[in-house]
Amino acid sequence: MTIAEPTTPPKVAPATEPLLQLEGVVKDYGPNRVLDDVSFTIHAGEVVGLLGDNGAGKSTLVKIMSGVVPMTQGRYFWQDEELGRVTRPETERRGVETIFQDSALVPTMSITRNIFAGREVTNALGFMRLKEMDRITTEILDSVVSIEGIKSAKQLVGSLSGGQAQAVAIARAVHFKRSLLILDEPTSALAVRATEALLNYLLQLKGEGVSSVLVTHNLHHAFKVCDRHIVMNHGRKILEVRREDTSVEELTAAVVEGAVGVERHRRGNSLA
Amino acid sequence: MTETTHKPEGSPPRLDMDEPTQVRRRLADNAPTTLAGQVRENLFYLRGRGALEIGIIFAVLLVVYALLGARGGFPFFTESNLSGVITQNVPVLALLAIGVGVLMVAGEFDLSIGFSIAFSGIVFIKVANEHGWLLGLVAALAASVGAALVNGLITVYTRIPSFIATLGMGFVWKGASILVNGVSPAILIPDAQTGAFEKIFTGDFGFFQSPLLWMCAVGVVAWGMLHRHRLGNKIYAVGGNASAAKAVSIKPNLVKLQAFAFLGVMVGLSAVLIAARTTTMQPTGTENYTLLAVAAAVVGGCSLTGGRGTILGMIIGAAMIRCIDNGLVLGHAPGYYRESFLGVAIVAAAIFNKFMEGKAT
Repeated sequence: MTIAEPTTPPKVAPATEPLLQLEGVVKDYGPNRVLDDVSFTIHAGEVVGLLGDNGAGKSTLVKIMSGVVPMTQGRYFWQDEELGRVTRPETERRGVETIFQDSALVPTMSITRNIFAGREVTNALGFMRLKEMDRITTEILDSVVSIEGIKSAKQLVGSLSGGQAQAVAIARAVHFKRSLLILDEPTSALAVRATEALLNYLLQLKGEGVSSVLVTHNLHHAFKVCDRHIVMNHGRKILEVRREDTSVEELTAAVVEGAVGVERHRRGNSLA
Repeated sequence: MTETTHKPEGSPPRLDMDEPTQVRRRLADNAPTTLAGQVRENLFYLRGRGALEIGIIFAVLLVVYALLGARGGFPFFTESNLSGVITQNVPVLALLAIGVGVLMVAGEFDLSIGFSIAFSGIVFIKVANEHGWLLGLVAALAASVGAALVNGLITVYTRIPSFIATLGMGFVWKGASILVNGVSPAILIPDAQTGAFEKIFTGDFGFFQSPLLWMCAVGVVAWGMLHRHRLGNKIYAVGGNASAAKAVSIKPNLVKLQAFAFLGVMVGLSAVLIAARTTTMQPTGTENYTLLAVAAAVVGGCSLTGGRGTILGMIIGAAMIRCIDNGLVLGHAPGYYRESFLGVAIVAAAIFNKFMEGKAT
């Protein structure tokens, strides 16, 4: 299936310095091409919405951006410097934090141990300072995500509800944020109030110069907080547009109908 | 949720948010302030982790033995029984249970240890007879760690389940034993058991023998590693959810290999302790240890799917199996049924642990 680029791609003026830049990214899983020639830039202090239907390639893109999955072809730039091998330790060193859709927590470990897994607070010999870790966990759970029902930082993640577990994943990402926060469907299991707290938090981070990529099905959530939207369809980028130049209706048309939807929507608008 | 304008002005913009009707209770306020409260909280979060419940059951078992002993005719708490059976049998199984248990926490099995104990023990005897016990110990550890790492590399890089890989490799280690020594037992000559050797590996301190000291020392070190060191946190993460571990830059393969290597050290140590006590080792003499060690780890609360288990639980699991076995002997249980009784006890303990696992908070 081939989908043409929109005939007149909207101009996207860079907000500030480019942070992460993907160029011509291709990803094959066996014979299946799940990403085909995808290029875009995330700037510093910017919230970008990554939208698209199921199977559009959003999650694969997230995995490539965070270095968990290698790309088949393409180039990855971080602050104008090309990374040779994009691995998770490399992106972590640069300050990329990701909340994965399947929330990537260990159910048999406590909240504290999950938050600090692989990044433990230790003494010189590598022994963990558990009290300190518990204290920090309590602090970030209290300050970052308003979530009901968590009793203690010592609770096992396996005993939490889906929304609570997601809140822990978010708290972890937020605690270790440095430059770029990637959130893959973060609001799908959250209650209304926790969702709003999270979206507000993204805006607050943006004020502090931290960029976010918000992957979501919920166009209303995306529209509220994102400066720019990238719409994927069958592994291709079909639309990249600033908030000022689009509407929820156009984004909906793009997500649901692909490039044809964008065309139809634009024609409809110009006729009206 | 209320709609916002599409072009918020000012920075940073805020979404409309309902004011909470009541002040939310903060997590920090839940922390207990009194000592009793802290103890209660810690106990609460020990529930279902592996050691607490089986520890209570073990304590009950010991009380029952004490009562039986007081009635007479059940000499469990006597110097000869404790020194002879308990402090020789329990520590070796406990070391193996710790090795197998840590590997199980990392999400893998090793079903070849029965044969690699023999291999390592035979290497120990061969080298010790020629070059003294210290070099023998080094050679035994090299053999057992090498065998465990080969098992680990096959498991990690071919991605076949470790119980199949190690089941097959067990026969390879058996073959290696026969290659080194032939089918007859290797005998440790008295000249090799000189100097500090006796004290370190077979020393008799009246109520207990030196293997018990080994168990305590290894237990403390392993506890520090698994429960307090960052390596332990990684082992739990890899066993509990390998892809989640990968997402935070933990290398599951490396961590699993470290767990295999740790098991190798435990196997080598156990092999030397067994060889020192019996002064002999044969290629097929230690097969039973494979399943006994796995059983001890499972009784002690290790999950078969990884990510769960405690060092204390593993030690208690080993002690439990040995004490039940010992109790059956002392109680004059018919010989042919002894193993069946033991099997029933092991399965019951495993079911109990599975049940308690669901209660974990």
